[in-house]
Amino acid sequence: MADKQPACMTCGGQGLCGGRGLLTLKEGAWKNNPLAIQMLGICSALAVTNRLENSLVMGGALIFVCVCSNLFVSLLRNITPHRIRMIAEVAIIATFVILFDQFLKAFYWEMSKQLGPYVGLIITNCIIMGRAEAFALQNPPVLSIVDGIANGLGYAVILAIIGFFRELLGSGEILGYPVLSSEWYEANQLMILAPGAFFMMGVVIAVFNVLKGPDTEENK
Amino acid sequence: MKGSAYTLSYAGVLGAACALLLTGVASFTAPYRNANADADRKRNILAVLQVPYPEKVSSEELVSVFETNVREEKSGGLELYRYVPDQDSEADEAVAVHFEGPGLWGPIKGFLALDTDMRTIRGITFYEQEETPGLGGEIVSDWFRRGFEGKKIVDESGEPGIIIKGGGETNAINEVDTISGATMTCDKVEELLNTVIVKIVKEKS
Repeated sequence: MADKQPACMTCGGQGLCGGRGLLTLKEGAWKNNPLAIQMLGICSALAVTNRLENSLVMGGALIFVCVCSNLFVSLLRNITPHRIRMIAEVAIIATFVILFDQFLKAFYWEMSKQLGPYVGLIITNCIIMGRAEAFALQNPPVLSIVDGIANGLGYAVILAIIGFFRELLGSGEILGYPVLSSEWYEANQLMILAPGAFFMMGVVIAVFNVLKGPDTEENK
Repeated sequence: MKGSAYTLSYAGVLGAACALLLTGVASFTAPYRNANADADRKRNILAVLQVPYPEKVSSEELVSVFETNVREEKSGGLELYRYVPDQDSEADEAVAVHFEGPGLWGPIKGFLALDTDMRTIRGITFYEQEETPGLGGEIVSDWFRRGFEGKKIVDESGEPGIIIKGGGETNAINEVDTISGATMTCDKVEELLNTVIVKIVKEKS
């Protein structure tokens, strides 16, 4: 197999990045999308998507935390005592979440107020813990970073789509700029409220699954 | 199986490393966070005193509006913020009083603005609270806060105290409508407001 894959710095041309790297990326962001397929992290996805800007920052936060925690869990995977591995994972995840929260509070105060407790709640986001347990514990650091990017991206993109349509339909704006004129478009307040998040997420997940197609053997 | 001593020391080292990193970041961001929190506090005071300021305003402009219009002072355990629109006469137009106390889940902090008679409520704002979103968290909503405007902090006989009351009938001059489903939060708010109200009435009788 090695000769078919491009040589690579991290795996010495063993096909890790070219083969498994791409596969990991596709798996996390598309085939096994944490939000649309695994249905993880729904709580924050419903809560912060009332505006596109919030969704983007939240998606960025998740990518950052997922990459960092995957990297460190993977680096420490051979020396972490099995019995306390989950506590160690939570400590690592919490450190990066608080770090991000601190920077948000320092340099992006308004956003920090809007996202409220949801940045801190990334600590309990199943996606991050799930990737640390299921992937980073068994895989080398670089591949774990790829997995972190893939899953973070899978979450962030869906969040951005939901946020885009909720802001567009709910207030006729995109990133705060009026797009749909209030002369002919009556903003649908429902989309801003929590029920609107459910409807929009349902639609997005349905469309995602239609595009992805059924989970047949050849599709996997 | 690795021994308990190894497990313990691993946990210790990992914990210390995380703690060190966070301490470093926290002390690095502290000045920025404090400046933001201070600007936010000042914005709240300006809003509750109904001091006019432009909607899109930078932190520096906000601070300068605050410094020209508002005089801070402490008296008898009260933090007062006097709105002095006319710099020459130094006459108050309104006074905001800081209050804080325990809510249902965490501390509640805010400002109560009074007209110059020191009895009529001009406005109220909460700048820090951790109440249940959608229930107790509604204390920050406009409709709840507007319920305070024009009310008195004393009853007809001059006895200090405000009553946050259910049933929709808020006829007395010191009664404010409660939030359905947030009785505990409203009780706490009533309690902490009355603590500060008693002090105000004692101070400014």
